[in-house]
Amino acid sequence: MAVDGAVEGVGGLFRDRPKPAPDVIMFILMAGLLALGTVMVYSATHVRLEAETGDPAAAMRRQMLFAGAALAAFILGSIIDYRHYRRMIFVIYGVTVAVLAAVLFFPPIQGASRWIPLGSFRFQPSEFAKVALLVVLAGLLAVRPGGALSWKRLASACALTAAPGVLVFRQPDLGTVVVIGVIAIGVLFAAGTNTKQMAVLLAAGAGGTAAVLRLDILRTYQAQRLAGFFDQTADLQGVNWNLYQSQIAIGSGQLFGRGLFQGTQTRLNFIPSQTTDFIFTAVGEQLGFVGAAAVIIVYAVLIWRILLVAALTTDPFGTLIAVGMASMLAFHVFINIGMTVGLVPVTGLPLPFVSAGGSAMIAMAGGLGVVNSIWRVRTALRISDIPRE
Amino acid sequence: MGVLALVFTGFLALLFIRLWFVQLAVGAEWALQADLNIVSVDSVAAPRGNIVDRTGFLLAASEPRLVIEVDRAVLPIEVEDDVIQRLAAILDASPLEVREEVERAGSGQTAPLTGFEVDPDTAYLVLEQRANLPGVTVQTLPVRGYLRGGLMGHVLGHIGLPSLDDLENQPWLDSNTPVGKLGVELEYDDFLQGTPGRVAYRVNPDGDILEEVGSLDPVQGSTLWLTLDAAAQTVVEGVLVEAIDLANLLKEEQEQENPDRAVLPAERAAAVVMEIETGAVLAMASYPTFEPQAFVGGIDVAAFEELSSRRAFNNLVIQGLKPPASTFKAVPYVAALEEDIFPQGVSSPEETIECSPQLAADFVDASQLVWRNWTYPAADGRQNLHDAFRRSCNIYFWEIALSIWRSYARTEQEGIIQEWARSFGFGRDTQVDLPFENEGILGDRQLFEDWRQNQPWRVRREGWQGGDLMNLVVGQGAVLSTPLQLAVAYASIMNGGVVVQPRVADRLESPEGDRVRTLERRVLRTVDIRPETVASLRADLAAVVSSGTARQAFEGMGTLASLVGGKTGTAQAFTDQDGVFHDATAWFVGVAPINDPRWVVVVMVDEGGSGGAVAAPAARAVFQHLFGVGVTPLAAGEDTER
Repeated sequence: MAVDGAVEGVGGLFRDRPKPAPDVIMFILMAGLLALGTVMVYSATHVRLEAETGDPAAAMRRQMLFAGAALAAFILGSIIDYRHYRRMIFVIYGVTVAVLAAVLFFPPIQGASRWIPLGSFRFQPSEFAKVALLVVLAGLLAVRPGGALSWKRLASACALTAAPGVLVFRQPDLGTVVVIGVIAIGVLFAAGTNTKQMAVLLAAGAGGTAAVLRLDILRTYQAQRLAGFFDQTADLQGVNWNLYQSQIAIGSGQLFGRGLFQGTQTRLNFIPSQTTDFIFTAVGEQLGFVGAAAVIIVYAVLIWRILLVAALTTDPFGTLIAVGMASMLAFHVFINIGMTVGLVPVTGLPLPFVSAGGSAMIAMAGGLGVVNSIWRVRTALRISDIPRE
Repeated sequence: MGVLALVFTGFLALLFIRLWFVQLAVGAEWALQADLNIVSVDSVAAPRGNIVDRTGFLLAASEPRLVIEVDRAVLPIEVEDDVIQRLAAILDASPLEVREEVERAGSGQTAPLTGFEVDPDTAYLVLEQRANLPGVTVQTLPVRGYLRGGLMGHVLGHIGLPSLDDLENQPWLDSNTPVGKLGVELEYDDFLQGTPGRVAYRVNPDGDILEEVGSLDPVQGSTLWLTLDAAAQTVVEGVLVEAIDLANLLKEEQEQENPDRAVLPAERAAAVVMEIETGAVLAMASYPTFEPQAFVGGIDVAAFEELSSRRAFNNLVIQGLKPPASTFKAVPYVAALEEDIFPQGVSSPEETIECSPQLAADFVDASQLVWRNWTYPAADGRQNLHDAFRRSCNIYFWEIALSIWRSYARTEQEGIIQEWARSFGFGRDTQVDLPFENEGILGDRQLFEDWRQNQPWRVRREGWQGGDLMNLVVGQGAVLSTPLQLAVAYASIMNGGVVVQPRVADRLESPEGDRVRTLERRVLRTVDIRPETVASLRADLAAVVSSGTARQAFEGMGTLASLVGGKTGTAQAFTDQDGVFHDATAWFVGVAPINDPRWVVVVMVDEGGSGGAVAAPAARAVFQHLFGVGVTPLAAGEDTER
């Protein structure tokens, strides 16, 4: 491949080639979010843990452990030259599908087969599957930069997406199915689908959604959550309890928040799943609009950095990976924060780098590391490209 | 890439706007919700206000008592049976009784088991077994205590848990805190209830209490000072029982003379003592009675039904409707003097007519034609208005009715007697401060017409007739009154026409003794009567006692009898549709001291027989107490007016 050769050639040609520099801003933003998550998990658990076990920091320590692992994953992803993955996409795909199939044979926890127990940890394959799938799709579609995408390739991309999609749907984990779809659409869009193709894709997506709703294959709780979303004042003690308590927490933060470790909603555990899906309520209540807006801005900058990588790299494989990551992150942030403020129905998607839960954190950090790897290679490329032009 | 950046920016901007709305636009409301979320407010029952008599003698109090409470929200339904069994064992009661009390509270509510005495040892047992008794706690609750048994039962009334209607009309009520149901407990419930306290706790979402954040002590209800006098009440209640015994003794004697006629025993009686000037009731008794304490913690069904079957909850003083009989003659007496209406051919109260054994009146309708005096077959000599009142000569009063009928039949003036009667309070509420008063009946053409339309079985087709008026002037037929109405009527006449609202409550004070409300003397209306008329009636009332139908009854009082005036009444005996003979209702209305009337005393004995024989001696005993002399046992008076 031409690009590969160029890089290798450049590396060998210039002694003063600058060291491939990591994106420090990206790293700092991610580390900041990990730190915020650790503090928020502590704020939401220390009162109860102190009362129940006498160890207020247990949950926080676990979160710090995961944050460390996430940092390691980021660094690993950054160091490994992402171009190696290209040759391995079918291996990656095969392993991903196999593990997603395997997870269905493990005993369900709270009615869902999403986890594979590993000692005191629970490994959640679907979180890694998202990152893996976007790499696979990028590898499949990054053939002709700027060129049109053939219907055949579009079809094979859809087929590749369908298998993990169906497996995750069986867990069931509707939120992740939707994320997989969003990643696919994002990558396909960047890969050069024309308007007609995009229209067909969106129509298929809408049709699938309608089918899911009409065919009555939603679980009862899923249907209830959806109904609860459309009437948010109903059944505050039941299906809308989470949303109601979540809005109380965030709303009561007002401009500056109730102060760190001060919010009663967070301290007294009014919000179920607060350390995972509803971690943003702890931010909203304690740090107020100022803190919550700052978090959204951090995500905006992070996504901007990723899109910048996508725009500046000349390797379409890198571009598509970066776009896939940006789509995934943006979707997670929008859905997660949106559900806590009643903007979208409640779905179990974590807030990237902040929500407790090792699998998502490590997978996303690893994915971000891959993007950083693209950046580093691109840096080397761009500097060396100057004398060529 | 630009398109993607735009899309992502758009989504994040949406989050911004929504956050702005939730946190800044309506954030304050959510903040309030957050505060309410963590605070649970419990109500602390307020002790009911005390009730004391006019001297401050404590009748009803509120005492802190240990009470077992079962919170049905906490008690899992599947172990409810077990818990009830265990509680029954601890309380030494049947599980059925415990279940009844528990289920008085709705599911998910707290049931205070006020029906069971809990001593500290029992409370300790409950606390010890806490683990096996989910939802069961021991609380100190203020509980109503009536300290004098059945004394003043009808006036005090009773309490009970609020009904669904109560809760709807007074939404602030706590469904576990009793409210007044009868008597002054009901009438003055708003004052007696007090203000419940509040305790606010900080709780977690499971409702576990973390700490107390604030409290407001309950405020005991106001102390209700009655106008009644416990000592007078005790005497009156005793006298009623004696009067019933006396009536039954006389019945036995009569039965021996006349064994063919089955006679119902006397079982019910009522008496009231009222201050003429102020309307303050000194004593008000009705027999049979009940003990208000039986209702605290809920009365059991058998006891309630037993009392109910004896109509023990009826306060006959304000609810018992009987023909007032000759006691009503004070009304035509006043009307005759005020309106100059006398028997035909008579033009002054001094002029006499023959009180013949019977009177034939040739009405052109279906009314009874021959009217017999109670002395029939004997005549009672020539009598003027005063003699007729003293001797209770019906002939004279019938002649008055006939005069009215002859002159005014079917004109407005034909109701002249009823007009006087109504102005003195017959056929209308006395407005006494007790619930469920009966307003009685006062018949006239209009009422009969109404009845003919709506309750045709009560009247003849022809409607109001002269005979009905004749019946009415002697307190029979279409006139029914309560003892209190008679007391008010006599008090009004003695007052020179000032009709005062009778009342049993004098004032309300805060628990600290500050005046909350004084129930002032209230004049309902004033009736024009000449002082000479009042003086004349006083003299004749005195004559009834000194030489008339009540003379014998008051013999036991010696010279003090000269201070008393009064009127006997014996409502006509009758045989009902089932062939059961009902004895007459015995009445006496007494006034004393007759030269400057202060008290009016009304005694009524249902199925009691002669007013002179039974009711008058009972009133005599009451007057002995009022005059501060020893009360002597009842002895039969003269059997008159039958």
